[in-house]
Amino acid sequence: MASVLLIEDDKETADEIRAELGDRGYVVDWAANGIEGLDKARSGGAEVVIVDRLLPGMDGLTIIEALRKEGMRTPVLVLSALGAVDDRVRGLRAGGDDYLTKPFATVELIARIEALLRRPTESRDTLLRVGPLELDLMERTAKRGDRVIDLLPREFRLLEYMMRRKDQVLTRTMLLEEVWKYKFVPQTNLVDVHMGRLRHKVDEPNEQPMIHNVRGVGFILRAPA
Amino acid sequence: MRRPDFARTPTFYSVLAVACALALCTLVLFGLVYKQTTAYVISKYDVLLVEELRIFASNSPDQLLQEINDRLLKDPQHIKIAGLFGADGSRIAGNLDLLPPGLTPDVPTNAVVIRLDGGERNAQNVRVAARALPSGRSLVIGRQIDEITEIAKVVMRALSLGLLPAFILTVFIAMFLSKRIFVRVTELNQKIQHVVTSDLRERLPTSGRGDTFDQIAVSVNQMLGDIESLVREIAAVGDNIAHDLRTPLTRVRVRLERGRARAASLDELRTVVDQAIGGLDQSLAIVTALLRIAEIEHSRRLEGFSQVPLGPLVREIWDLYEPIAEDKGVALRVNSADETTVHGDRDLLFEAVANLVDNAIKFTPEGGNVDLTLLSREIGTVVQVRDTGPGITEIERESVTKRFYRSDKSRRTEGLGLGLSLVAAIVKLHGFQFVITAGPGCTVEIICPQMH
Repeated sequence: MASVLLIEDDKETADEIRAELGDRGYVVDWAANGIEGLDKARSGGAEVVIVDRLLPGMDGLTIIEALRKEGMRTPVLVLSALGAVDDRVRGLRAGGDDYLTKPFATVELIARIEALLRRPTESRDTLLRVGPLELDLMERTAKRGDRVIDLLPREFRLLEYMMRRKDQVLTRTMLLEEVWKYKFVPQTNLVDVHMGRLRHKVDEPNEQPMIHNVRGVGFILRAPA
Repeated sequence: MRRPDFARTPTFYSVLAVACALALCTLVLFGLVYKQTTAYVISKYDVLLVEELRIFASNSPDQLLQEINDRLLKDPQHIKIAGLFGADGSRIAGNLDLLPPGLTPDVPTNAVVIRLDGGERNAQNVRVAARALPSGRSLVIGRQIDEITEIAKVVMRALSLGLLPAFILTVFIAMFLSKRIFVRVTELNQKIQHVVTSDLRERLPTSGRGDTFDQIAVSVNQMLGDIESLVREIAAVGDNIAHDLRTPLTRVRVRLERGRARAASLDELRTVVDQAIGGLDQSLAIVTALLRIAEIEHSRRLEGFSQVPLGPLVREIWDLYEPIAEDKGVALRVNSADETTVHGDRDLLFEAVANLVDNAIKFTPEGGNVDLTLLSREIGTVVQVRDTGPGITEIERESVTKRFYRSDKSRRTEGLGLGLSLVAAIVKLHGFQFVITAGPGCTVEIICPQMH
């Protein structure tokens, strides 16, 4: 199972994250300060590094910059109590791959780690396939088996994003940030409405559902069993 | 070392500087008077000396000796000088010891001489004129010029009598003025300190004279008024935050308590916990929204600004919200014929307009319309969101943009009440205007004045 390096100075938070990740089969290594964290990250055992933004000894961003300078490409998830958009931009610019504001739901964290571990298929193939579902990126058409699915451009974008990340839980925030480039939390259940539309078109009543709602987390696209 | 009170105001030093300047001017003036007076006196002497020299020289040698002796005898105060010297410089007659050196014929000059008469053989300042006689002898005529020294003494006396007391008086005035100002400044200062440390409701006293101090006091009082109302506002905002956070938190607490006591099965407990998490998320969303507003309100980073095309922006918002409106049975229509750009932050503008549309959809009952329109007016580009909802009253309009305000009607609808405050903050950051118009329904406009 994947190994994760957690660099977090608050022991209670660290314990929670370790327990949660441990339950899901991850091997978690923990460093309580920046210097120790950087050493452990350099040794290169971890497949994903979770870095707290503010750390004693060495700032989280400094660690990422140091790693990137040394050519380490391990995906890094930045955790921060600073919610400001500016800070997020700084975190990603320093070389972080994703950014999560504290407090966060554990499921959100897991989903993000999963996403980082399974980089989407950026194949040059112009045809995406998940089970009977086909998406032609050139023709901008979608088919489920022989049935042509008539999609609006926004629905097409959403489906493409999900097909590239099949079998992976996608949280609402991830979808907002990635599909709509929406950088704030809207007050309305935007994602649910859009997903409802898409699901309605992808899964007809007599078909086995492919888009699933993961309660309290988000959505997942799976090939029918 | 602590300086005395009077020396601690700029007034003291200003007055002192003026006094010094005056003293300097007076000194220069007196100097000029002295110089002019002596020059006048000397020129008078010189005319006389040259005349005397001419008369003496016109005498025959014997008469000359007689005249010289006469001149000296008729001068009991030993003012006059006369001398006759041989070609070799030896004294023939007169009261001079030696022929003063460096004399030019017929030109009176100052010289220091030793007199043979008058008892004291001290050196004396004199004015002399000389002429070489045809016989080869030298004739010297002169007079002592102690008067010049006398004039100098008089001038000095006048100076010390006039200038010194005036200067001392000025210093005292400076000390007095300075002390008076110091006392008032100290008084003001203590009052301000008192207001700052203990009671923000107190105000500075005014003397009623309408002087500078009163003006300062009035300004400070105005400032205190502003600060006081701001503090009140903050307190009110704090109360609102407390209220809006307390409500979901209380719900969470009650649910958890009841769940703990009553839940008969694990599933029931899970339901309770889920509800509690929902409540906590709501509270956190409030905190996030507040931080976001504070972030925008205090943002001074404008370098992230660029030219933002508004047409695609409103169409994208329409694209995002159209399904939501449709679900609610509200028609969301977009009209973006006008293709202009504004200078701004795209993400923030998107957020602002999205918020307005979100609100409009939320408050419009089923069957109503929401129109998102891009207009071009004389003042600039206008993003208009018009709905057929309940509208906003005159009184509510101002408060609507304040943090956490929710008009009573809207309290029934879900939402955090922060949407419009956020929009107001974003609009303000851009230097745009935010206008809410009542009418049938509600019309909100973001007016983006053309950049010059």
